Amino acid sequence: MNIALALSPLLVVALGALLLMLAEAFSPRQGGLALGAATVLFVGAAVAGGVWMYGIERLPEAASLAPWLLLDRFGLFFDMLLCLGGGLAALLAGGYLVEHGIERGEFYVLILFATLGAMILASSGDAVTLFLGLETMSLGAYAMTAFRRASPRAAEGALKYFLLGSFAAAILIYGFALLYGATGHTDLAGIGATAATARTPLLVVGAVLVIVGVAFKVSAVPFHAWTPDAYEGAPTPATTFMAVAVKAGAFALLLRVLLIALGDASWTSWAAGWPPVVATLAVLTMTVANLIAGRQESVKRMLAYSSIAHAGYALVGVTALMRDPTQAGASVLFYLLSYTVSTAGAFGALILCGSHGREAVSYEDLSGLGRRHPAAALAFSLFLLSLAGIPPTAGFFGKWFVFKAAIDGGLYWLAILGFVNSVIGAYYYLRVMVYMYMREPAAGAPVALPMRSGYVTAALLVSALFVLALGLVPTRAIEVAVRAATLGAG
Amino acid sequence: MQSPWLSVLSFLVVSTLVGLGMIGAGRVLRVRARHDSPLKVRPYECGEEPTGPAWMQFHPRYYLVALVFVLFDVEAVFLLPWGVVQRELGPAGVGAALVFVAVLMLGWLYAVRKEALKWQ
Amino acid sequence: MIPVEHYVLLSSLLFVIGSVGFLVRRNVLVTLMSIEVMLNAANLALVAFNRSRLRHAVEQAAPGPSHTGQVFAFFVIAAEAAEVAVGLAIVLSLYRLRRTVRSDEADLLKN
Repeated sequence: MNIALALSPLLVVALGALLLMLAEAFSPRQGGLALGAATVLFVGAAVAGGVWMYGIERLPEAASLAPWLLLDRFGLFFDMLLCLGGGLAALLAGGYLVEHGIERGEFYVLILFATLGAMILASSGDAVTLFLGLETMSLGAYAMTAFRRASPRAAEGALKYFLLGSFAAAILIYGFALLYGATGHTDLAGIGATAATARTPLLVVGAVLVIVGVAFKVSAVPFHAWTPDAYEGAPTPATTFMAVAVKAGAFALLLRVLLIALGDASWTSWAAGWPPVVATLAVLTMTVANLIAGRQESVKRMLAYSSIAHAGYALVGVTALMRDPTQAGASVLFYLLSYTVSTAGAFGALILCGSHGREAVSYEDLSGLGRRHPAAALAFSLFLLSLAGIPPTAGFFGKWFVFKAAIDGGLYWLAILGFVNSVIGAYYYLRVMVYMYMREPAAGAPVALPMRSGYVTAALLVSALFVLALGLVPTRAIEVAVRAATLGAG
Repeated sequence: MQSPWLSVLSFLVVSTLVGLGMIGAGRVLRVRARHDSPLKVRPYECGEEPTGPAWMQFHPRYYLVALVFVLFDVEAVFLLPWGVVQRELGPAGVGAALVFVAVLMLGWLYAVRKEALKWQ
Repeated sequence: MIPVEHYVLLSSLLFVIGSVGFLVRRNVLVTLMSIEVMLNAANLALVAFNRSRLRHAVEQAAPGPSHTGQVFAFFVIAAEAAEVAVGLAIVLSLYRLRRTVRSDEADLLKN
């Protein structure tokens, strides 16, 4: 029975997904599925929180599933984070899909299954379960991207996402096959134990392939080519889901691989390990994404590049794992949390600004919003400030902890580059606010009207609450993140 | 270090280079046709006159049924090894397999309900 | 007895063929096939490594020979099938809208 309790977050989401799938197929009415999906996911987050409070250490049976599923605080943290992100995306879909006339129940079922995949991915300690979770998550995301079947742009974005995503999965799996050949293990701990003692060329090639595969999934530059197209072509709730849940799942995978399989001192040294590789990815990702984001004319595409840039900041924290896995890991987890609520809020505000099949896309569409619809503009501004990293919002402390971890790890140049980049990044976030508050729409230009939807409003309220709470009192959340990140210390 | 895997690594590098080199050489050395005769691009230069594009459309129903078939076909991949060791696993193994098949049956129910298997 | 290195050579060859095919071919269906070749290269490596490990374990009378590599290959096959199902659906929907299966003609989304 205890094992069911330890597994309960996964079980809640899995059973909820199956039930919703049947309800979607057999119920004559189609309403309420968004509410159902969001409820399942928020209940999943609450259950994960309950298991966290109860203490997963008091459930020794949970260890019997290792290494297939590592039911630890790290996994529980990601269960909560992913359920929160998925739930927000489901709420946004409840408003968006109806408003733009593409309401079909499959979308919510796909969100649930994809979230389940991400949760499995975050909890897995073996290449087999890791691959299954990754594929479950990705397949749901591919299908959601292609959801607007009448739109050539959606089909094209989905095609690029699918091709590069499965290419990355193939590289990752081949890397794990080589690691298996070199060590005789598919579980990360076993790989780590052998990797610590003998370093063969096979092992190195396998590790490189795995890191490249994960870099595709977290959309680090230069493996980011699919991201802007997929994010732009997808319906905005699906974009939200990809930006928050898929990215968080991929980071969970990266942290587990680097901490457990390649966590030995010989691999975390600057001279002969992965830190220089990850640091290069971080610098490229931040700089390139920020420079391109500033040139975008579409706000949605700007937010897509911004999500790439944020992966870069998180990678700064990942690089710092080389010195202090617990503190740096906690900074990455906190960063992901603050990024999740800010990004879900920003996309939600963008969704709120369009109605009746007309979406707000360009900066021009948003001009004068501050006067026309002060509430929508205010919400949008809050999330943009958080993404830019301006206090008192979640994004400020997210960046603060990540850069602090880099400085404590002796990586001053990396922290400085990250800081310079966040100043560059502030430009394009503030540009949106300039349009909202200081420009008026050109006379006669078609102006998108904000939609009225309880779902979207609820999602924005939840995100805003989190953004402000994390920005004003981050101590509790950072304590939780520290406890979640202690897996690398052992 | 004379590891046998070194040869694998060097093979990987060499085969990549050869592959890319062949493509590159083809691009550099290709002979451009002076005047494009339509005969050049025909599948057959004489005999059968090709009619219509090779990309003829199948009814999309074929794809749907084939895809559903493939998904459930893979079920057997897992049930066969399970059947081999089924006695050693005991009742717990039977229970696990039942859950596995039950979840798949839910998927089948979904496909039937969505009329994915109906030939209209 | 064929040593495991030969299998690994074959599998790395398949992997390189697959990835080069993915990068240079423009027909989406061929690209899909290239991904399949890459995944099958991984499968071959997994099964070959598993076999050599097993033989090694039997010769040394080492405890607990495992079949993880072979089981992994099964899971890869299953995930592959699901991936193809979704991929073909996406290609079909693109073909329906654009009448093309060439990835270089899918160029609506640009900076």
